[in-house]
Amino acid sequence: MVKFSDEKLKKVDEIVARYPAGKQKSALLPVLHLAQDEFGGWLSAESMDYVASLLHLEPIEVYEVATFYSMYNLKPVGKYMFEVCQTGPCMINGCDDIIKYISDTLGIKPGETTADGLFSLKTVECLGACGYAPMMQLGKTFREHLTKEKIDGIIAECRRNAN
Amino acid sequence: MGRKVLIDKAHIEGIRFYDVYRKNGGYASVEKAFKTSPADVVEEVKKSGLRGRGGAGFPTGMKWSFIAKPEGVPRHLVCNADESEPGTFKDRYLMEFLPHLLIEGLIVSSYALGSNATYIYIRGEYAWIVDILEQAIAEAKNNGWLGKNILGTGFDCEIYVHRGAGAYICGEETALIESLEGKRGNPRIKPPFPAVKGAWDRPTVVNNVETLAAVVPIINLGGEEYAKIGIGKSTGTKLISACGNIKKQGVYEIDMTISVEEFIYSDEYCGGIANGKRLKACIPGGSSVPILPANLLLKTAKGDTRMMTYESLSDGGFTTGSMMGSGGFIVLDEDQCVVRNTYTFARFYRHESCGQCSPCREGTGWMEKILKNIENGKGKISDIDLLWDIQRKIEGNTICPLGDAAAWPVAAAIRHFRDEFEWHVKNPSECLQRNYGLAHYADPRPVAVPA
Ligand SMILES: Cc1cc2nc3c(=O)[nH]c(=O)nc-3n(C[C@H](O)[C@H](O)[C@H](O)COP(=O)(O)O)c2cc1C
Ligand code: SF4
Ligand code: FES
Repeated sequence: MVKFSDEKLKKVDEIVARYPAGKQKSALLPVLHLAQDEFGGWLSAESMDYVASLLHLEPIEVYEVATFYSMYNLKPVGKYMFEVCQTGPCMINGCDDIIKYISDTLGIKPGETTADGLFSLKTVECLGACGYAPMMQLGKTFREHLTKEKIDGIIAECRRNAN
Repeated sequence: MGRKVLIDKAHIEGIRFYDVYRKNGGYASVEKAFKTSPADVVEEVKKSGLRGRGGAGFPTGMKWSFIAKPEGVPRHLVCNADESEPGTFKDRYLMEFLPHLLIEGLIVSSYALGSNATYIYIRGEYAWIVDILEQAIAEAKNNGWLGKNILGTGFDCEIYVHRGAGAYICGEETALIESLEGKRGNPRIKPPFPAVKGAWDRPTVVNNVETLAAVVPIINLGGEEYAKIGIGKSTGTKLISACGNIKKQGVYEIDMTISVEEFIYSDEYCGGIANGKRLKACIPGGSSVPILPANLLLKTAKGDTRMMTYESLSDGGFTTGSMMGSGGFIVLDEDQCVVRNTYTFARFYRHESCGQCSPCREGTGWMEKILKNIENGKGKISDIDLLWDIQRKIEGNTICPLGDAAAWPVAAAIRHFRDEFEWHVKNPSECLQRNYGLAHYADPRPVAVPA
């Protein structure tokens, strides 16, 4: 059974209070982010049903939204997800080489997760860092001006933090 | 040196925090605005000539004066921080380094519009900026600039940050409102316009981050003084996020009096093309505006110097001009492939189409597929005409402008770089080894002389 801690439930109330009374559906995007962070980095049907019950919504209303937005993962993903931008400006600055390097180093293709469940690789579209390309999103942060050496460093950093 | 009124203080140590910001003149515009009426603030913004910085360039003061004021119905200001147009990263700069400037602009604008609950809709990927903004909001509130009865004026205001979850379409104002209401980001059919029926069916104004930050210098300087910066109807300063093959990629504030050439080559701005290469093409206002070859970028078809203003960038219309758009300035050097670049944009728009209208949903997918084939040496000459045909069938036939935004880059690429597309088709193996290069795209154009 998934369930938020009391502290997180307080956070949910705080989020709901930002919107007009009776419009608690507005809290859905932020609360789904919270659920994804709390329940293993992805949204299972169980997590979505739980969010629906918290916000007094029909489960279908939550599924509809979760499937629309690309940041909600509907399947389990690696502990560290490398989301590398591949749009024009990043392409001009060599993102294809970076994607290939990550792919070769980790032995996974975009869309895949390593067997140990540590890393996922995903190609994404423009993240608003075009002037600092090539770049990727890793959790809550952007890693910019990527080089092969930097990628090696980031992989090592993730392995260290995982233990 | 060009005049700077927005990010001139971005480099002051600690300016991200309230005390330093306040010591450097922060929140003075709120004090000044509160001494006048909300209608006076709207009037000042009208006088400034400020045009929306989100892409469409609609006059902000006029937009504000359209907001409906039915008795007893709350109104809302929503700040559009979705910033997802490829090439655009200026709002991020403002929010990251000068969060209080945005909060200050939001308080003044909320006062002008009568919004007691104002929302910042920020793209989900800017997760760390949410923390920066929430901290700034808390600091502003602790110092009496937000909350109930601000500075004893009787005006109440709260600002909330609402984080999106990865969808470019949510930058379109009605999709943004749907998303704020906790729904899929499907644009609404207009009318009704948000100014009459927006968030939760209440009158709503949606403005870009930079637009709302610009309200601060407008109030500080006075609308008329602000309007003196720039040329003609391009008043004030504009943030340009410059990227691609230039020496210094980054965010620049320009007063709209400089030429495109100066912007690219002077050391004050981009510092020239990187690695001693030559300029081939440029997309001056974010991925959806028309790409221009070097020889149409620096000079208009009439032979005039092209300036970094709304009017000059669009001089020549879609045949020989482009647009200021969102200020996402993407530079391509002689080694870049226009077909490949266009393909990545087509893939972007296919990925971001919300799927409500068939011309956009289907057309973006077809364009992506055809462009991928041409890029990989698997195209036919008839594909180029087919692409042209598809983009024409999308443009103007959809609920929201994303369809147009997807069509324009393809149209402009074919219009100006058709021979590069044909070269790909005729040289299917060579195009996998090398790019078409600069060709004739920087050669001086014969100036059309009226008979
Ligand atoms: C597909 C699409 C995406 C858009 N994305 C953004 C965006 O990321 N940020 C923004 O400010 N405006 C964006 N806009 C423009 C908004 O709809 C709206 O015009 C703008 O926020 C109004 O603010 P302004 O008048 O201050 O520019 C987008 C429009 C479309 C059609
Ligand atoms: S034009 Fe595209 S993005 Fe806009 S409403 Fe139609 S399908 Fe959706
Ligand atoms: S194109 Fe990669 S961040 Fe914008």
